[in-house]
Amino acid sequence: MSDKENTQFLRRTLFLGVLQIALLIILVGRMYYLQICEGSYYHLLAEGNRIATRPLVPLRGQIYDRMGNPLAQNETSFRAVLLTDKKDKVEETLETLCTLIVLPQDEIEETLKTIHKKRGLDSLIVKDNLTWQEVSAIELHAADLPGISVEVGSTRKYPSAFRGAHLLGYVASPSEKEQEADPILTIPGLKVGKVGIEKYFDSRLRGKPGHSAFEVNARRKIVRELHQIASTPGEDIHLTIDGSLQEYIQEILSSYESASVVVIDIQNGDILALVSTPSFDPNLFPQGISHKDWHELRENPFVPLTDKAISGQYAPGSTVKLFVGLAALHTGVIDKNTTVFCPGFISVGNHKFHCMRSHGTVNITRAISESCDVFFYEIAKRVGIDRLSEVYQDVGLGEGGLEGFPHAKKGLVPTKVWKKEKKNANWTVSDTIQVSIGQGYMLTTPLELAVAMARLAGDGKRLIPRLEGQGDVAFEELSYDKKHIKTILEAAQGTVNMPTGTAFRGRIMVPGMEMAGKTGTSQVRRITMKQRKVGQTKTAHLPWKYREHGLFVGYAPIQAPRYAIAVVVEHVGGSSLAVQVARDTLLKIQLLERIRPL
Amino acid sequence: MTTDALSYFFQKFIRLNWGIVFLVLLISAIGWGLLISAAGGDIHPWAFKQVTRFSVGLLIMLVFAFIDLRWWLHFSYVFYGISLLLLCGVEFLGFIGMGAQRWIDLYVIQLQPSELMKIALVMALARYFHSQLPPLTFKKLLFPLFLVMVPVVLLLRQPDLGTAMILLMVGGSLFFVAGVSLWMFGAALVGAGASIPILWSFLHDYQKNRVLTFLDPSQDSLGASYHITQSKIALGSGGLWGKGYMQGTQSYLNFLPEKQTDFIFTLLCEEWGFMGGISLVFLYVLLLVLCFRIVLTVQNTFGRLVAVGMTMTFFLYLFINIAMVMGLLPVVGVPLPLVSYGGTAMLTLLMGFGFLLNVGLHRTLKIPRLSIGIF
Repeated sequence: MSDKENTQFLRRTLFLGVLQIALLIILVGRMYYLQICEGSYYHLLAEGNRIATRPLVPLRGQIYDRMGNPLAQNETSFRAVLLTDKKDKVEETLETLCTLIVLPQDEIEETLKTIHKKRGLDSLIVKDNLTWQEVSAIELHAADLPGISVEVGSTRKYPSAFRGAHLLGYVASPSEKEQEADPILTIPGLKVGKVGIEKYFDSRLRGKPGHSAFEVNARRKIVRELHQIASTPGEDIHLTIDGSLQEYIQEILSSYESASVVVIDIQNGDILALVSTPSFDPNLFPQGISHKDWHELRENPFVPLTDKAISGQYAPGSTVKLFVGLAALHTGVIDKNTTVFCPGFISVGNHKFHCMRSHGTVNITRAISESCDVFFYEIAKRVGIDRLSEVYQDVGLGEGGLEGFPHAKKGLVPTKVWKKEKKNANWTVSDTIQVSIGQGYMLTTPLELAVAMARLAGDGKRLIPRLEGQGDVAFEELSYDKKHIKTILEAAQGTVNMPTGTAFRGRIMVPGMEMAGKTGTSQVRRITMKQRKVGQTKTAHLPWKYREHGLFVGYAPIQAPRYAIAVVVEHVGGSSLAVQVARDTLLKIQLLERIRPL
Repeated sequence: MTTDALSYFFQKFIRLNWGIVFLVLLISAIGWGLLISAAGGDIHPWAFKQVTRFSVGLLIMLVFAFIDLRWWLHFSYVFYGISLLLLCGVEFLGFIGMGAQRWIDLYVIQLQPSELMKIALVMALARYFHSQLPPLTFKKLLFPLFLVMVPVVLLLRQPDLGTAMILLMVGGSLFFVAGVSLWMFGAALVGAGASIPILWSFLHDYQKNRVLTFLDPSQDSLGASYHITQSKIALGSGGLWGKGYMQGTQSYLNFLPEKQTDFIFTLLCEEWGFMGGISLVFLYVLLLVLCFRIVLTVQNTFGRLVAVGMTMTFFLYLFINIAMVMGLLPVVGVPLPLVSYGGTAMLTLLMGFGFLLNVGLHRTLKIPRLSIGIF
């Protein structure tokens, strides 16, 4: 070995050595960066890897009536749950499951579709509400059903199936749209209120979901449970509704095709009953309604899914005469002794407006109790639409009543401005005349009518209807003379309790429980001149859907008004059935009041 | 055996570089501890088997150390030839494992000819440069270039990118220390750069993917770069002191792939933290220093080239592996020397250290440079 060669070798070897040390220093630097500088970041990632959480569905709050009876409760149920980490054999498993429990084909397909969309540790409810036989069948064949387990959950139950279905509404699995708006709703098994009280109070009823944290391995299999944060159950809701009354009304309404009733406590605005028929079974919904049932409900001509008490808009008919009378007295265009002669019609321009019959000379009291249209045509002309609509609005017509309640609608109190805007036409006297007997453009909901009746019977206070709450409420006074209100209420008593009154046959004959009120019929179709000539002023012979609605608003007892009611019976051709419903209802609530401890 | 022979053997035994032996043992023992942890506290399935193999390997190392260096010099081409034959053999006899044809099943043990080739190439090159006197002209370099390129091409065909890289670099460093002039290296670099597109077309799709995801890891987080992402998470989450022995969640919960083989350094860093990682690196540096001390004191060309080659091989294993698990190099499947689970790589390394010890024992030996024949 020459020296030169040796030196070169040593130099180059040293160079290699230095290079190696330098490279190793880079490695140590990288290690320092990953472990010290970014350590906490990677620690977070590692924890995220390690920990999977499974949400715990909170128990939904229960709904009680004013007596503390349950209207909606939770029942322990068993459900077949599929853990989606065993994705590979899902189809086979579901096939086996089919032989053990009733599982429609379309539900299987739905399940498979959901599985392929989801990733990670989700569990999926294959079937809710298993019967005992099904539970034991699954447990027995557990070995053939990888990934399937039986879990204990709770199902919403409505004990009085058909009573108050509209008011309570129902819960069901949230729709995709709802889930997008609120990611909490993606928790499997969580139900949301879809309509009615369940939706109105949903945020309070729902509670707060908890979760349990698991340590999982790379295949997302659970290794052990780390901790659990319990869910917070939803708040219980105590309604002002009287379950027994609700049930009773539902029963008497079952004789009619389609009707609705609202009962309000005049003292505090408590809604005691809110009934709409035909009804449906809300228990169909929480586990997912079948297509057949849904189709039937949708196609039923009597629209069982609509809550007519708060979203049915009807021409109020003669029931509004109470408020027209009040407007006339209030504005001073008449006093209680002013009379009008009723020849059976009134001519406005070249148009004739008819009355039921010729009433002769009538004052306000007779005009209300005997429902003389001509009297109101006349005084409405004098009051004018501006002041008339003000009174309508004061008593709550067109106000709706339950702000934010699902599908709640408002009535319509037409004004000059409204007509100009919507119809692009000027207000005419004919319009005023029609509005004075609750026809024409005018629309109200049964709830509005009940509220209007309650405000009047409650001596002119701005009563606000409520679904929950306790105790009396001091409502704001409306600016009406008590004297005028008294005159109207006396006339309303005459409607029911005077032999000439339109509701005399439906009076309450129990002393101290008598009712007062006003009948009304709501035209669905105009009676033509031709029909009138041949005496067809009644509509009972027409096809059902063209018959007039029968209406009644009233209160009881007359000495100390406590309960206000509004009844609409659809397409019955007259108001007598509505009067009967009101009579039975008001009697029932007063009897209930007697037998119940205070 | 005569007393002469005995005392000769004893002499060698005393003069053995016990520092290297001790460090090899220590680093391997660390590996066994990690293998127990990787198995969740069990010596099965890895640690026990690894210790058994190590015992055999250690014996081979000592045997290799004591055999006369000149004998190795004589048989280095034969050794190379056998290795090359075996390497060709996997083309026909090998079976598909891990997506690559790398193994020959000898019914008793599975042999990885690419590992043998790492030793054989160093020996063959050392022997060639030992026999050539400077200046090393281009003509003289054709044969050693051939020695390097034949196995490299075969390995690329297998495909075993990691080993091919190691062979190229070990070969290159031997050329370098043997005294090949720098301008030739410059020309080779330019040539290599120009041939990258050609090499690229030789690569399998999964290899291309690995390189591409290395260059841009955001491409897919669950596909090819999943391993490296999880490895970085495991390593980084270890922090300064680590999560504690057998407490590595990434490894324990199987997020970390191949934790007992290629990614064992990650396991170490997750459980023992930066301190654990740097301690092992320190031990490796110590071992490298001892190796370089041998390289610098050897007085025959063959010996010091063998020593440089073995040291370089050892260094490349350790550098590529650690850089790979930290996301500095693409995943090429190179184990962590002496620590990763696996028989062949350990055998290769122990054979390598056997040669290093051997060279250390024969550092003063003078071997004539021109008088040797081919065999």
